[in-house]
Amino acid sequence: MIRNILKKGIFAKTSRDILNSKVETIRNLLEDTDVIPTNYRGSVIFTKPVEQSATEGIAAALTDVCATKALSIKATPEETCITLDRSKCILCGRCRETAPDLIVIGNKFNPPVKSKPEMIVSSTAQAQLAQKSVEETRIELKTRLQRTLGRSLAVREVDSGSCNGCEVEVTALNNPYYDIERFGIYFVASPRHADVLLVTGPSSRNMEIALQRTYKATPEPKIVIAVGTCACSGGIFGDTYATTGGIDKVVPVDVYVSGCPPRPQALLSGLLLAVDKLPSKAQSRIDKEKK
Amino acid sequence: MSSSINNGISKYTSTITEKFGEHVESINEANRNEMHITLRQLDSAPRICEYIYSEFHGRLSTIVCSDERRVANGRFMLRYVFSMSDDGNDVFIVVTAKIDQHNSSFPSIALQIPAAFLYEREINDMFGLTPQGNPDVRPLVLHEDWPSGAFPLRKDFDISTKMPREHKEYRFTKVEGEGVCEIPVGPVHAGIIEPGHFRFSILGEHIVNLETRLFYTHKGIEKLAENRSLEETLLLAERISGDESVANSTAYCQAVEKIAQSSLPRRAEQLRVVYAEMERIYNHLGTLAGISTDVGYAYGSARLNILKERMMRLNETVTGSRLLFGVNRIGGVAVDVSDEVGKTFIEIMNDVQQDFEAVIALLKTKSSFIDRLRNTGVIPRKAAKELSIVGVAARCAGLDIDVRRDHSYAAYSGLRIDPHHDSPRSVTKYRIEMQKRVGDALSRFEVRVDEVKDSMNIIEKVLRNLSEGEIRATVPQENLKPYSHGLGYAESHRGETMHWLMLGENKNIFRYKVRTASFCNWPIIEQAVMNDIIPDFPLVNKSLDLSYSGNDL
Repeated sequence: MIRNILKKGIFAKTSRDILNSKVETIRNLLEDTDVIPTNYRGSVIFTKPVEQSATEGIAAALTDVCATKALSIKATPEETCITLDRSKCILCGRCRETAPDLIVIGNKFNPPVKSKPEMIVSSTAQAQLAQKSVEETRIELKTRLQRTLGRSLAVREVDSGSCNGCEVEVTALNNPYYDIERFGIYFVASPRHADVLLVTGPSSRNMEIALQRTYKATPEPKIVIAVGTCACSGGIFGDTYATTGGIDKVVPVDVYVSGCPPRPQALLSGLLLAVDKLPSKAQSRIDKEKK
Repeated sequence: MSSSINNGISKYTSTITEKFGEHVESINEANRNEMHITLRQLDSAPRICEYIYSEFHGRLSTIVCSDERRVANGRFMLRYVFSMSDDGNDVFIVVTAKIDQHNSSFPSIALQIPAAFLYEREINDMFGLTPQGNPDVRPLVLHEDWPSGAFPLRKDFDISTKMPREHKEYRFTKVEGEGVCEIPVGPVHAGIIEPGHFRFSILGEHIVNLETRLFYTHKGIEKLAENRSLEETLLLAERISGDESVANSTAYCQAVEKIAQSSLPRRAEQLRVVYAEMERIYNHLGTLAGISTDVGYAYGSARLNILKERMMRLNETVTGSRLLFGVNRIGGVAVDVSDEVGKTFIEIMNDVQQDFEAVIALLKTKSSFIDRLRNTGVIPRKAAKELSIVGVAARCAGLDIDVRRDHSYAAYSGLRIDPHHDSPRSVTKYRIEMQKRVGDALSRFEVRVDEVKDSMNIIEKVLRNLSEGEIRATVPQENLKPYSHGLGYAESHRGETMHWLMLGENKNIFRYKVRTASFCNWPIIEQAVMNDIIPDFPLVNKSLDLSYSGNDL
């Protein structure tokens, strides 16, 4: 596994060698599954539905160990189960240590979603779904990529108070491995040029107004992507005197990409979901103007 | 007084007792290398601090304020932490002063020790204690729209309080004169970087004055840690600054381990070194790539970014996280490196090193590249010293500060941090080299290049001599007594990160004070750009590689 990284490029020693450099780019990003190591902490998966009796002791321990309160007990008259809110999960893996036979940490990243309720999974109903949906999303997104990207997409990144982990991954999208400009997605210097706002961080109080202004400065139709667990829910920084507890409290959000931080592939999936949403948003605006 | 185990401490103890005996309530040793001087009166703090600063050449490492009104002391406490590293001594002097409840101010030391000015402004914001004599008491952490009279780090402030916004304006330093213009930049920048505001006063293209306005990413990390469990706070420590996760979590874990008086398995200490150096490598590679971008040499940045990505993938394959989140645990590390992985690890790293040397060799032949860096963003050594800056920024200006050597931790004590210290001859040579460093962007470039190579050598050395055994020890819980405290520190790729921890009831956190290298180094950027023009700023900023989140907390 580790040997996958052992791809040696030709490194120029003189200016002439530069022209002989080989291609380093990953050809198909969304199918680039083999480079995700098996120990990567991508998503929390329930391995089996838990019966009511077994749940009680473990459930209490699990909710106790979860620092961001992503795990909670859902008790309905029919059943008791544990639910996981991926918008809060920072993938620390403490839950797996507490209940190794109930929870595994998969190496597939959480799929980006269009609404927050989609991020809540329960131990009974969706035990298998988490595994499958990543694959489904991939295939779905691949077709959308071909269909929609006839037009380039301008992205403006806004840090609303992140720990800069997300910035490291957003910057990585521009490196020669991922090189997202070849898909016609490029980062612009001003919100006035942007179709998409890529927002990281829980939105600190001190960034709240700046974020609102950036949103206002972006021309319609605009898409906002919440990047990272902090942007989705406040994450470990929560909702305090200094933070707002998720950027959707400040600006309307179209796509949520959870993860701490989300890996570049996850960011790209989020962007593609946004691409898909753009035509419908444009249409609704035209309809509004007609009225 | 009990006989001192640490030789360095006894030396300072006798001098302090002799000079300031009547002002000192007690002097005691704690946690192996901490010397605590408790003062009778708050008023004597400036004199003693100044003495330690000017006579002992102590470097002001941090100032910790804590609200201990409801515990035994019944007061606000101020702790001035000085790092002592002359003659190979590994000592921290902590001057402790009490502020009475009815008193809402304390004497400022900023005029004697300039590095103190930001700490004092921070205390003013967060505790409502005014530094008497500090000429600058403008709001810092809490921006101007924060209502007066609310102080988040006081114990009676509830963390979830939402304060209304007030309409007040921040007073920037005004530069007046014919032709002087102001350029406001930020908080949202053009690139993919963190938020902060820069106010330039310019004459033509020349920068006459720069004022930074930060703390846009203030998330209340110190307050969040309070009343949390030790395990949860570890997760928080990793997220102080994402790209410094190993350094900050190491510092935090060490503070806890010091309080608990636990010793780590050798293998755990060695692996902490490995992870810390992995972090240094990928970040330095990123910064070098960024410098190349800002110079306008795309080939260099593309190649260096490839190397950074390779290192990040190596991070991930070894530890499960591209940013090395989750490697540290209290009492050791969470991730082991098997012999097989270790072998391939070294192979890949050597590969990266070869390519790295090729790129750097190429960059050094490009006169346009080197010219752009030379004499850009010069850090004056005097200012560097007075502002107590740390890390690469200090080393590029000829100040030889490195916590890994000065206050060695984990498995660093047995290691040569750099080959320069192998023999007396090379030490001398290295010192001369240090004196020649002028503090410009080029020297920062060179220091980083050297450090990448050093880190790779360190990793190889450690991985080849990994001790057998456990990677995690259980921390003796009985030593985690309420209101015991300790210092944790580490050298991140930006410099010294300093964590002070005080435990409360039920083994939860009472007060967690974090000071990362960025907090020390941000003020120097205002000095570094003084001889430059506006288009140099991005390059100067990148070459210093400061974290906003690590500064703002």
